[in-house]
Amino acid sequence: MRGFLLRRLGSALFVLFSLTLLTFVIARLAPGDPIMQMMGNRRDPVRYAALQQQYGLDQPLPVQYLQYVGGLLHGDLGMSFQYPGRPVTTILAAGLPVSLKLGLGALLLSTIVGVPLGIIAALRRNGPADRVITTLMLGLFSIPSFVLIGLLVWLDLTLYKAHWPSLPVAGLQQPASWVLPIFVLAASSMGYIARITRSSMIEVLGQDYIRTARSKGLSAAVILTRHGLRNALLPLLTVLGPSVAFLVTGAFVVEKLFNLPGIGNTTIQSIGQRDYPVIQATTILLGVAVLMMNLITDLLYSVFDPRIARQG
Amino acid sequence: MRNGMFMRRSLALLSGLAVLLPALAACGDSTPTATTTTAGGGATVSPTDSGIGITATTAPTKGVDATLAPTTSAATMPPTAAAQATTLPTAGANVTSIIENPTLTGGAVTPNRVGGGGMLRWSNEGVQDLDTLDPALVNASNSVMASGLIFDGLVRTDSKLGLQPAGAERWDISPDGKTYTFHIRPNLRWANGSPVTAEDFRWSLERALSKDNAAGSGSYYLGNISGATDWNAGKTQGLSGVTVKDPQTLVITLDKAGVYFLYQLTFTAAEVVPRKLVEQYGKNWPDHAYGTGPFQVKEWRHNERLLLAPNPYYYRGAVQLDGIDMPFVQDPATAFNLYRSGGLDVMGSQQFPNTLAAQVAGQPDFRQEPQFFDAYVGFNNKKSPLNNVKLRRALALAVDKKTLTERVLGGGAVTANGILPPGLPGFNPNLKPLAFDPTAAKAALVAAGFKDGAAVPKLTLSYTGGQADFEKVATTLQQMWKQNLGVSVQLQGEEQARYNNDLTALANAPDKSPIEMYISVWGADYPDPQNFLSQQLRTDVGNNNGHYSNAQFDQLVDLADVERDVTKRMDGYHQAEQIAIDEVGWLPLYHSSGNLLLRGTVKGLVYTAQGLTTDDWTGVTNK
Repeated sequence: MRGFLLRRLGSALFVLFSLTLLTFVIARLAPGDPIMQMMGNRRDPVRYAALQQQYGLDQPLPVQYLQYVGGLLHGDLGMSFQYPGRPVTTILAAGLPVSLKLGLGALLLSTIVGVPLGIIAALRRNGPADRVITTLMLGLFSIPSFVLIGLLVWLDLTLYKAHWPSLPVAGLQQPASWVLPIFVLAASSMGYIARITRSSMIEVLGQDYIRTARSKGLSAAVILTRHGLRNALLPLLTVLGPSVAFLVTGAFVVEKLFNLPGIGNTTIQSIGQRDYPVIQATTILLGVAVLMMNLITDLLYSVFDPRIARQG
Repeated sequence: MRNGMFMRRSLALLSGLAVLLPALAACGDSTPTATTTTAGGGATVSPTDSGIGITATTAPTKGVDATLAPTTSAATMPPTAAAQATTLPTAGANVTSIIENPTLTGGAVTPNRVGGGGMLRWSNEGVQDLDTLDPALVNASNSVMASGLIFDGLVRTDSKLGLQPAGAERWDISPDGKTYTFHIRPNLRWANGSPVTAEDFRWSLERALSKDNAAGSGSYYLGNISGATDWNAGKTQGLSGVTVKDPQTLVITLDKAGVYFLYQLTFTAAEVVPRKLVEQYGKNWPDHAYGTGPFQVKEWRHNERLLLAPNPYYYRGAVQLDGIDMPFVQDPATAFNLYRSGGLDVMGSQQFPNTLAAQVAGQPDFRQEPQFFDAYVGFNNKKSPLNNVKLRRALALAVDKKTLTERVLGGGAVTANGILPPGLPGFNPNLKPLAFDPTAAKAALVAAGFKDGAAVPKLTLSYTGGQADFEKVATTLQQMWKQNLGVSVQLQGEEQARYNNDLTALANAPDKSPIEMYISVWGADYPDPQNFLSQQLRTDVGNNNGHYSNAQFDQLVDLADVERDVTKRMDGYHQAEQIAIDEVGWLPLYHSSGNLLLRGTVKGLVYTAQGLTTDDWTGVTNK
């Protein structure tokens, strides 16, 4: 187990290093100039040179990269270009809680609703309940979030105009503001989770050991939870693990259209402004999160399925 | 600002304006006339008693850059007012201005009883957060709009584009037009109650023009102050052209007389900022910003909203609003929904696409006003074939602007015949436009040396893609040129940052640039033709991306820039503009309108050709 962990950590470090280099290079390859964006695109060579120097952009690229990596090793992500005087860490720290709450809320909602619906559909296979659930979940899974948002906002505005209770359509002013964004973000994974749970449950329920359990006279509830669910959830873990990683980087479309001050919104803005330090930081944040969640998923696998641990 | 960036800029303008404008709008009476001449020969501005309320916030136009889609708009523009051209203060001559009754007179200055008039919920569209509120650094119109509610300078413009006293209650101009002496309002206070003196203004100007604040627009607009260039380059120990004579008197000397200098002082860079605060908090001081404007920062929730509280020491009196809640909304459609679900009182001052406007057209709370704003086609004058004047004329004559504005843009714009927008001082109603005429266009093509459109090499037209209006405009131009001339044009829609970059490359090395024609926009920084002609099309000025050059044009604008006689001055600009139109330095397309949603409960704010403005922030309520 220890060897496994060390190997994984080693490769994670390599991946992270490559990520810093790639992000650094790609951001600079994109046409566009952060200083011109900063200066409001007024052309003035003297001011331009002064700003280049101020932000270290007058240094050769390899030097800039080494300085950047040096800072990273000290936990220094640099200063934002577009927001004078604001360290990147402060910017990320402001957005992270919002994206995490949104993402965790969506994850919980999609799991709490998706798993039971998948089980019910599997148990009532090909019955009316199964058909309704499968269709609904397929719909939720397929509809793009911007379409769903448009529909929900339209419904909400209609309610508002009729003086019925309605939900806030943007911002985070009140607790109710979370309802629509969390629902929209949860919708597609809810559909996905329900479908995976259903098919894997159907497969598991057809296994010999379930028949054995039944013949032993175990109650349906015990068979379902101890033997069925535990095995059926394994594929789900594969799906959920990596998707948790994307929680920290925010949901671009949902954050933008509901105007939530999360990391997703920050990323969009920083790309438009060519704010290199912020672009790099959000990419690395995503990289770290993906690596960690993959690791955790692998570890959890061995908990759920001891065979994997023995092989590992 | 340069054109290229138009989007940014336009926004800025728009937005800026909007805000500003309000402020500007004030004085009902039109123009002051006036004058007193002092013995020394310099003119003094003296107060007349007419104007009462004046305004507010900030300078009008600042150059900002905004990014707005052209259609958008509502925001603000600089105040310009055309009509008042004659009242431009020219140096030396009769200048008048109005002084308001200071609310706080006498020795003791007590805070005003503010509030009670409701909160104003006003969205700031197109950004996730403001980059800064520091007047020395703001560029984006989104920030200029917010910053303008907090800070104020020596002078400001009113809604009619007249100059009004602000921190300075009056000023004298030396006979040579190079020395300006400002008399600071004796009871001027920061929002925390401590006094503001001439030294604060001097320090603020020096700070805005310093090398450390190179990202701001100070050196761009105030570079005419003596010693500014050297100080900005770090060659001197301070800004020599600004001196304090006594605590109430500030003297500014210029390298050359500039008729529009007072207007340039209405920019953010010339606003007074509290040294104590800057030194206490360093770069993060805007989080706690206060100044001499009507509001101060209550809380700046980054990435979310700006909350402003009234300034109890505002020199114009008691602000009635309880405050302003300004959420940052990246997508204007989201702000639009927020407004429609009761979450906002003002929407669209920064971005308001025409596609959304169509859904609320006709509603009593929807406003649409033409703005001081040009959308135009620029040309690479340094490369064949567009260095050929006759070819440019053929292209200009083949554009049916009426169809473009009425059919394609759905009425959200006014056809542009010339470069100066209607209403701007210097607008020439008698300008001879290159009116749509397919026959003349074909003749011009032949005169240019092409037997027909097919003989013209395929041209490219660059623009900012992804924005509905520009896409439509570009496609329409392509069709018109094909249909009326037979000329093929390839469209090149680019992402904003990339487009900006390409225009910079065009400006720096036109012979190497792939850009041949480009759609760009320009909004007034200040209401003066100099900002539209001398700063855009004179040979080798920074904004002249396409490198248009005409010796006679240069001579005319150089003379007009320093001419003190308003009639002669405007006449010079009229002639120069006619040359630029005849030679198609720019092909002006339209002046776009601004859209705005303004709830009926809001009193005291008005939406004009200059954007959302107020006669006086102390009179604004929302109950």
